[in-house]
Amino acid sequence: MASVKISKLEKQYGLLKVLHSLDLEIADGKFVVLLGPSGCGKSTLLRMIAGLEKITSGDVFFDDVRVNDVHSKDRNIAMVFQNYALYAHMTVRKNMAFSMRLKNIDKKIQDEKVAWASSILGLDDYLDRLPKELSGGQRQRVAMGRAIVRDPDVFLFDEPLSNLDAKLRVQMRTEIKDLHQRLKTTTVYVTHDQIEAMTMADEVVIMQDGRIIQSGSPMEIYDNPNSLFVAQFIGSPGMNIIECDVAEKAGVKSANHESLCLPLPSDAKVEVGQKIFYGIRPEHLTANKEPSAESNSSLTIEPGVVRVVEPTGPETHVYSKLAGQDVCSISRERITWSPGEAIHLQPDLQHVHLFDGQTQVAL
Amino acid sequence: MPSSFFKPTLRYLVSLIVVAVFVFPIAWFGLTSIKPISAVFNKDRVVVFDFKPTLENYHVTVLGGEKASMVGGQSASMGTSGKGAYDGRGSILSSVIIAVASTFLATAIALLAAYALSRMRFWGAQGYLNWVLSQRFLPPIAIIIPLVFIFHDLGLRDTHFGIIIAHTLINIPIALLLLKSFFDDVPVEIDQAAMIDGATRFQCFYMVVLPMIRGGIAATAVLCFIFSWTEFILSLFLTNTIRTIPVKITTFVTSTGSEWGYISALGTAAIIPGFIFILLVQNHLVRGLTMGAIKD
Ligand SMILES: Nc1ncnc2c1ncn2[C@@H]1O[C@H](COP(=O)(O)OP(=O)(O)O)[C@@H](O)[C@H]1O
Ligand SMILES: [Mg+2]
Repeated sequence: MASVKISKLEKQYGLLKVLHSLDLEIADGKFVVLLGPSGCGKSTLLRMIAGLEKITSGDVFFDDVRVNDVHSKDRNIAMVFQNYALYAHMTVRKNMAFSMRLKNIDKKIQDEKVAWASSILGLDDYLDRLPKELSGGQRQRVAMGRAIVRDPDVFLFDEPLSNLDAKLRVQMRTEIKDLHQRLKTTTVYVTHDQIEAMTMADEVVIMQDGRIIQSGSPMEIYDNPNSLFVAQFIGSPGMNIIECDVAEKAGVKSANHESLCLPLPSDAKVEVGQKIFYGIRPEHLTANKEPSAESNSSLTIEPGVVRVVEPTGPETHVYSKLAGQDVCSISRERITWSPGEAIHLQPDLQHVHLFDGQTQVAL
Repeated sequence: MPSSFFKPTLRYLVSLIVVAVFVFPIAWFGLTSIKPISAVFNKDRVVVFDFKPTLENYHVTVLGGEKASMVGGQSASMGTSGKGAYDGRGSILSSVIIAVASTFLATAIALLAAYALSRMRFWGAQGYLNWVLSQRFLPPIAIIIPLVFIFHDLGLRDTHFGIIIAHTLINIPIALLLLKSFFDDVPVEIDQAAMIDGATRFQCFYMVVLPMIRGGIAATAVLCFIFSWTEFILSLFLTNTIRTIPVKITTFVTSTGSEWGYISALGTAAIIPGFIFILLVQNHLVRGLTMGAIKD
């Protein structure tokens, strides 16, 4: 096992710079997820850690050993690719044993390792099949089996679940996390799916346009997004964002959007006339049929109109129109809403996120 | 009539006609090879089946036997033939040696080149590929005179090795292009997975990628083999005594007449090795061996 450190790492394809001076430290045994929209450079970063991509400048360290010039085959890493990249002409068993065969490891130990991996992954009955005789989920598992038999220092995953159907994806998500908890191997996992990131990561690293925007534990990032981009990227349904101007009336500041007048937390660092983005997560909007009496702000918000109601079981998502803006609120109470009905929304001021209108940085 | 009956029947009929068009000349050729001369050269009518089949033509051309004297009252000797002029055994051996060796060489060389061109980015890769392919645009006749002189100076004229080289060179561009397309079909992640598993570039080539394009290699080899087996002009100019089958057959057309019986016998016999070769590799000819390596 190893820690991974990346220092001032850059990547350029011709004139196109895809990674801008990245710094990142991954502690030994951690599960780190690189999260970002497609094209932001996640795979490129992962492939540079793997040694599959030339480093333009900067360094990669494994346990403080600089590995820039170490060939992939000597880095003792294992990688699971998005398209699985199985050896089509080899059986499952041979696929898994390939790395050990190259190292001339004793045949008996090879068999033991394969048996161990296949029992963990539930592949016992498929060892003598060819990849083409397996389902997508099974192929995915073979790719993982090939990785774990190696006792790698670092596990690298590049969107391993994106070709699976929704149900299998959820199942494999749990399996990968479980596997990590058992093996405790340092893992770098690339995905564009924020739910995967939230559910699996010890630490999430959010990337945008070749830069690291924010990193931290999933809940840290969820609770304190440092920019509008992160706020919108994390969470499903996403955070409600309303573009507002700060105004003051009778000594109380509020965020105004057309006729809508939203309350601001008392400690908000905003000035009158400033353009801001007002963000509030759906679960921090309380929905009522009547204007709330015990509202903790001096402002009451004009009622919205219910558009769509989505009960998911434990909670109900209500999409409504508020002064021309689409707003989502989540409630765990079983209130029955019908489209067209008036809805009174009240933000929980402790959980309001404000972002500068220009720089989009959290205020 | 219900279309469920009509449609398959029609399809069957049409395919039958298409097959017949292709098979007819070969069948006629084969038929001619077992006809006595009287049936081949009948002034009055076309003899189709009503003749007494004979293996005489094969006996002479393939087994090198003596000509039997008279068949059907006509003289069998129409050419100005010395003894053994119709003996094709040497030609068959030469053709086999040349075709097998040049196929092996062309495929092996093209494999290495195609892998490099498919996997490695280097300056001028595309230009290099275009240049190699441009060699194939040239008709052999255009280069035949310089080639004869070069081969003469190098002492390669009238040697098996010389023709093997010539056929290999002609085959490399097409083999390279074909094999590159097969390599391109194998995702590079396969190579990368193998390298991460600890394989060197060469191990990755022969242990992982090569077996995955078996079908492509077989297809390429078949094409190279058939080219070499049927190639005429280079063999004609570059040899005197070593005669490949196509060249040998032309010598059966003499100033005094054409030995259609011998021509068709040796020609029919020449189909057989190619046929066997294709039978041997046909299991590999199906593409889709890479199936299952990646998502569908
Ligand atoms: N071989 C390449 N040549 C040129 N540009 C590339 C190459 N590979 C990736 N890129 C560019 O680098 C950027 C990042 O790509 P990638 O790391 O694959 O993104 P992600 O995995 O986050 O979707 C993209 O804009 C992509 O177009
Ligand atoms: Mg990617």
